[in-house]
Amino acid sequence: MASQPEVKVPIRLSTRDQSIRLEQDAGVLLVQTTLKRPQLSALVNSLLRPAAQPIPFDILINGQFLRTTIDQFLTANGISSETTLDVEYARAFVPPLNVTSFEHDDWVSAVDVWSHEVQSGQEKILSASYDGLLRVWNTSGDILATSTAPNNGGRITSLKTARWISDKKIVAAGLDNIVRIYKYDDSTRALSATVELYAHKWGVENVAVSSSTNRILSASSDTTISLFSTSTKESPVAPSHLLASSTSASHKRVKLSKQSSSVPSRGALATFTGHTSPVSSVLFAPSDHTVAHSTSHDHTLKTWDVTTTKCVDTRTTGHSLLSLTALPQLNLLAAGTSARHITLIDPRASATQISAMTLRGHKNAVVALDRDPGSEWGLVSGSHDGTAMVWDVRSVRAGGAVGEGGERVGECVYMIERESLGKGARAKAHGEGVKVFDVRWDAQVGIVSAGEDKRIQVNRAIGE
Amino acid sequence: MNPRKRKAITREAPPAESDSGEELADGLLDGILSHSEDSSDESQDEDYDSEDSSVIEGLSDEDDELDEDEDEDESGFESDGEEQRIREQLRKLKTSDSSSERRNTSLNLGDGEEKGLEDQDDSLKPNYTVTTDANGNPRYLYKEIDPIYDSDDSAADVTNTIGNIDLSYYDEYPHIGYDINGKKIMRPAKGEALDALLDSIDIPKGWTGLTDPATGKPLKLSDEELDVLKRLTRNEVLEDGYDPYPEMVHYFSGVKEIMPLSAAPEPKRRFVPSKHEAKRVMKIVKAIREGRIQPYKPPEEREEDDEQIHYDVWADEKPRPEKSMHIAAPKLPPPGYEASYHPPPEYLPDKEEEAAWLEQDEEDREREFLPRNHDALRKVPGYENFVKERFERSLDLYLAPRVRRNKLNIDPESLLPKLPSPEDLKPFPTTCAAIFRGQEGLVRSVAFDPLGIYVASGGDDGFVRIWELLTGRQVWNVKLSDEEAVDSVKWRPDKETSILSAAAGEDIYMIVPFTILSPDVEQASRDILDAGWGYAASQPSTTTNGETKEPLGKWSRPGSRLESKGVLVQVTVRSPVKTINWHRKGEYFATVSPRGQSTAVAIHTLSKHLTQLPFRRLKGIAQTAQFHPSKALFFVATRNSIRSYDLAKQELVKILQPGAKWISSIDVHPGGDNLLVGTYDKRLLWHDLDLSTKPYKTLRFHTAAIRAVRYHQGGLPLFADASDDGSMQIFHGKVVGDMMENATIVPLKVLKGHKVKSRLGVMDVDWHPREPWCVSAGADGTCRLWN
Repeated sequence: MASQPEVKVPIRLSTRDQSIRLEQDAGVLLVQTTLKRPQLSALVNSLLRPAAQPIPFDILINGQFLRTTIDQFLTANGISSETTLDVEYARAFVPPLNVTSFEHDDWVSAVDVWSHEVQSGQEKILSASYDGLLRVWNTSGDILATSTAPNNGGRITSLKTARWISDKKIVAAGLDNIVRIYKYDDSTRALSATVELYAHKWGVENVAVSSSTNRILSASSDTTISLFSTSTKESPVAPSHLLASSTSASHKRVKLSKQSSSVPSRGALATFTGHTSPVSSVLFAPSDHTVAHSTSHDHTLKTWDVTTTKCVDTRTTGHSLLSLTALPQLNLLAAGTSARHITLIDPRASATQISAMTLRGHKNAVVALDRDPGSEWGLVSGSHDGTAMVWDVRSVRAGGAVGEGGERVGECVYMIERESLGKGARAKAHGEGVKVFDVRWDAQVGIVSAGEDKRIQVNRAIGE
Repeated sequence: MNPRKRKAITREAPPAESDSGEELADGLLDGILSHSEDSSDESQDEDYDSEDSSVIEGLSDEDDELDEDEDEDESGFESDGEEQRIREQLRKLKTSDSSSERRNTSLNLGDGEEKGLEDQDDSLKPNYTVTTDANGNPRYLYKEIDPIYDSDDSAADVTNTIGNIDLSYYDEYPHIGYDINGKKIMRPAKGEALDALLDSIDIPKGWTGLTDPATGKPLKLSDEELDVLKRLTRNEVLEDGYDPYPEMVHYFSGVKEIMPLSAAPEPKRRFVPSKHEAKRVMKIVKAIREGRIQPYKPPEEREEDDEQIHYDVWADEKPRPEKSMHIAAPKLPPPGYEASYHPPPEYLPDKEEEAAWLEQDEEDREREFLPRNHDALRKVPGYENFVKERFERSLDLYLAPRVRRNKLNIDPESLLPKLPSPEDLKPFPTTCAAIFRGQEGLVRSVAFDPLGIYVASGGDDGFVRIWELLTGRQVWNVKLSDEEAVDSVKWRPDKETSILSAAAGEDIYMIVPFTILSPDVEQASRDILDAGWGYAASQPSTTTNGETKEPLGKWSRPGSRLESKGVLVQVTVRSPVKTINWHRKGEYFATVSPRGQSTAVAIHTLSKHLTQLPFRRLKGIAQTAQFHPSKALFFVATRNSIRSYDLAKQELVKILQPGAKWISSIDVHPGGDNLLVGTYDKRLLWHDLDLSTKPYKTLRFHTAAIRAVRYHQGGLPLFADASDDGSMQIFHGKVVGDMMENATIVPLKVLKGHKVKSRLGVMDVDWHPREPWCVSAGADGTCRLWN
C-alpha cells in the first residue's frame, strides 16, 4: 500500500565467489523490505559493473535462500528488521538444459565420467548396461570402446555399476556377482577385462573406488561389502566355491560355451559383514579413504573402518536406503530412500540427530545421488520416478515444514525430466520406461543420468 | 395558642366589622370570669399530658375558630335542647382548658391573650386593602406579612397595672384595667356573647369537628358515645344502669342442710385411697429411686463451637438468573417519520417507488408498509391486514410444538471405537513403485524370493518369470507349458538355496534359476532337488495283496529343454494343481487340485520325492491348503469351511465356519493364532483360532470377489487382499501376544492400478519378506510393486 511507510532494513552484501566480489565494500545499505530476489539481484549487478550484462544472483540471508520478500522472510524467521542482515549473493542456479543423449541397446544401469586432468571436451563417459556391456563415450556421443560380453557359463551378465579407477582402468559389476576390472586403451579403443574378482554370492549393487589407495569396495545383495585391490598381484586367490568351474553343472556350461580368453580371477582382501539386508551403496569417505560408509535395505547407514574391516558406527533410519553420497564440506551424508526422499545424515559420532535434513520431492525410490562439483551445498539425485532432481540444502521448504524427526525439509531446486518422454509429458510415479538408475554430476560435462529409457542424458547449464 | 395562626385563619374569612371586635372583647372578658368561677375544681385533677386532654385541646381549638366564625353572624339561632347541651359541654371543656392554662401560667397569660386579641384587631385593619378588579368584584390586596417574633416579650406589656384591686371595681366598665402604656384592657367576652355565637351556628347532629382516621370523613359521635365520653371525663361508670355494688346472694353456705340434694350414700371411692393412683405414684417413686427419672437439671450452657458443626448449605449458592428460559423478544427500533399517518412529504413514495414496492416480493420489501398521507388521524383507515396477520399468528401458535423435546446430542463419531490413524501406522505400501511388464495374458501368481531381491510370477502364457524387484527388470524366464497356465509359483522358504516351485496344469515343477545364482547357491539347490532321486523306486508302495500301486505323484525329469533352463524336477499328479504351499522348513509342500476329489490335497516330501494323500475322502471341494507356521498343523479350506488337522496325531482339531459361500484363499498369521480368509463373495474374514469357529471380524469393502489374502511374514502388522474389482486393500492387523486383547484391524489403503480384464482384477498378492512392500499380479498382464 502506498500509504504505508516503507520499512527499510540494513543489509551488508557479501559473496564467497571471488569473481563476483565487489571492488569496494558497499558498506551497509538500506533496502526496502518489499524487495524480492530479482530486485536484490539487480542491485548487486548495479553495484558490481553497471554496464555489463547482468548476472542473475541468488540471495541468501543467514544461509537460506530468499524466495519471498525480505519482509516475509524476516517474519518467517523471526528476525528484527532493525538488525543488519548479512546478505550473501551467489550466482543463481542456471537450469541445466538437455545437451545430448547417448542411445544404448538396453537399460543403462550406471554411468560415470572421467574428467580428471583432461582437456575440456576430452572427458570420457562410461556406461554400464543391462546387456552386460560397458561402453566408453566421448562427450560428442561417439562410442570409443565397447567391452565384450563376459563368458560366465550362460549366467546373467547384466551390469549394475561401473566406475573409472583411472583413465585406463574401469571397475564394473552386476548381477553375475563378479566384480571385473577392465583395461581401457585410449589409443586402440579397446576395453577388456583384466581381472575377475570373486567374493559375492548375489548381485553387486554398487562399487566405490579409491584410486589413491587402489582399493575397491563393492556392495552386494548378499548383505556383505567386499574390499578388493585394483592390482592383480595384491589380490588373494579367488574362493573356489564361487568360481563357475567349482560345480559340476556350471563347469559343464562353462566348458560348452566358447572361451575366448581366460581372465585371471582373484578374491577379496576383506569382507565387511554386518548388514542384514542387501547393501545398496558404498562410499569411501571423501576426506579419509580408510573410512567407508554403506547403506543397506535394512534401513541402516554403517561406517566402516577399512583397515580393520570393523563397523564403527550404525545409524538406523526409518526406511530402506538405496543410494549414498557425501557432502564433505558440510560433514553430511546424503542417503536416498525407498520412501521417496533423501535423508541428510551427519555421520560424526557427535551428531545426535538421526537425520539433519530431509529433501522431499521425488515420487519414487531415490536410487542415485551425486554431489555438485561446483557447490558444497549442491546435490543431484536420480529416482525411479523418471526424474533427476537438483537440490541445494540451503533451499528450505517455506512454511517451516518438518520431517518425521523434526528436521528441516528441503525443496527441489530443479527437476530434470527424461528427454525420451518428449516435451510436456510427465513421467508417472512408477516411472515405467524412464526410471533413472544412475546420475553423475561433472563440472565440465554436466549432469549425466542413465536410465530405463536405454540412454544417457547429459544436461548442462549453458552460459556459465 | 399561637396568635399568628389565628390571624391566618381570620384572613381567609371575609372582613369583619371593626367595632364588632369591641363587642367581642367584652364578651370574652365576661366569659373568663364566669369560667373561673364555674369549674375550677373539676379540671384541677386533669392530667395535662393525657390523651383525653389533647383530644379536648383539639376540640377547644376548634372552638376558638368557631368563636371567630360566630362573629360574622351575630344573629341568634333557635336550637333544640340537644344542641344546647352540646354547646354547654363544649363551653365547659374549653373553660376547663383555659382555666388550667391560666393556673399554670399565672394571670399574665390571660393578659397575653387579651393582647393577642388586640393585636389581631390592630392587624386586621391595615392587613389588606379592598379594590375592584377588572370584573368589578372586590379584590383584597394583602400587605406583606410582618413577622412578629417578640410576641412572647409583649406579654409583659399586657400586664394589668391596676395592682392588687378587686376586679369587681371595674364591673361597670367595659375594661378591667390598664396596661403599662395606660391603655384600657378590655374585658373578655362574656358568657352571653359566647352563647349567642354558639347558638348562631347550626351544628349537625353528633358533629365533632374531627375526622375519622379510618374513613377520612368527619367523625360523628352518637349520643351514646358522647355520653360515654362525658362519663369518661368525669371518671364515672361508663354504662348506664350499671350497679357497682350489688347485693350479695349467698348460694353456697357453710350451713348443712337438713335435706341433702342427693340421698345416695357416699361412694366408696370417696374415702378409700385410690389403688390406681397409688400404683402410679409407686411407679414414679420407683423410677426416681432407680434414677430413671432425674430431677430437672437446667441444661448446661454449652460452648458454641464444641463439636457442633453447622453446615451452611447455601454458602456457595449463586443467584440463578431469573427465568433463564425466557428470551426477551428483540427490541424493535422506534417508528420513524415514514410510519406516521401524516409523514413529511419527503417520506412519501412517489409513483415509481410505490409501483416498485408493490411489484416486489413481500419478503424482499425493505419495509412492510407503504407510507401514506392522511390529513387527520380520524381519516386513517383500519389496518387491512389485521385479520390475515391474526390468523397467521394463530396458525403459527397452533402448529408450533409446545413440548420441549430433550434431544440427546451424541456425536456419532464418539461412539465409534477409537482406531489409530493410518498416519501413525506407517509404513505401509501407498504407491506403485514399479510395473513388471512383459507377460501375455493374466498373471495368476506372484511370489517374493526369500531374500527379497527377486519376484517370480506365473501366468496364462505358461511362462514363469523372475524380476528384479525395484527396477522391474525381467532377469529370467522359462516357458513351462504351451497349453496350461502357470497357476501358482512359490519359492522354497530357504535363504541358502533358491528353488522355485511352479504349478502348470497337472505338473509341479521345481526350478533352480541358475543364471541369476552364484555357483555355490546353484549347487546347493541342485543338491536338495537331486537328493530324492530313486527313493520312490527303491521303496515302492505296495498294497496288502502285493500289487504295485500306481504312485499318486510321478516325480521325473522334465526333459532337456527345461533342464537347460534350470527346471530340474517335474511332479505329475492326477488333476490340475491350483495352489502350492510350502512347509516352513522347505521339506514338504502341499498342493491342492480342487477337481481332484479324493486326490485333491496332496503333501509332497521333497527329499524323498514322495507324494502322499493325507485324506482318503474329503468333505467338500478343497480350495487351498496351508501349513501352520510353527506347529504340526495343517489347514485345508473347502468351499465353505476350514479344517485344521494335527499332522502328528493325525486327527481333526477344529472346523472353522467362516460363513462364506465360497472360500478363495486362506493365510495363517505368522504367529499362528489367526487366520485370514478371502472369499469369492467379496468378504474378508479374520478368524481368531483361540476365540471361536466363527470369524472375529468380517471386512466387506470390496465390490468384487477376493482372490488372495496374505499376511506380512516379516514382522510387520500388515495384511493385504487382492480383489477382482482391480484394487488391493492394505490393512493394519496387529496381533498382541497375550490372550486378553483382540487383534486391532485398521484399513489403511486401497491400492488401485490394475485394470479389470474380463471381470478379473488382481489375481495374487505377496509381501516382501522384510519391507512393507507388496507385489501384485494383475489380470491385465502386469505385476506391480507397491511401496
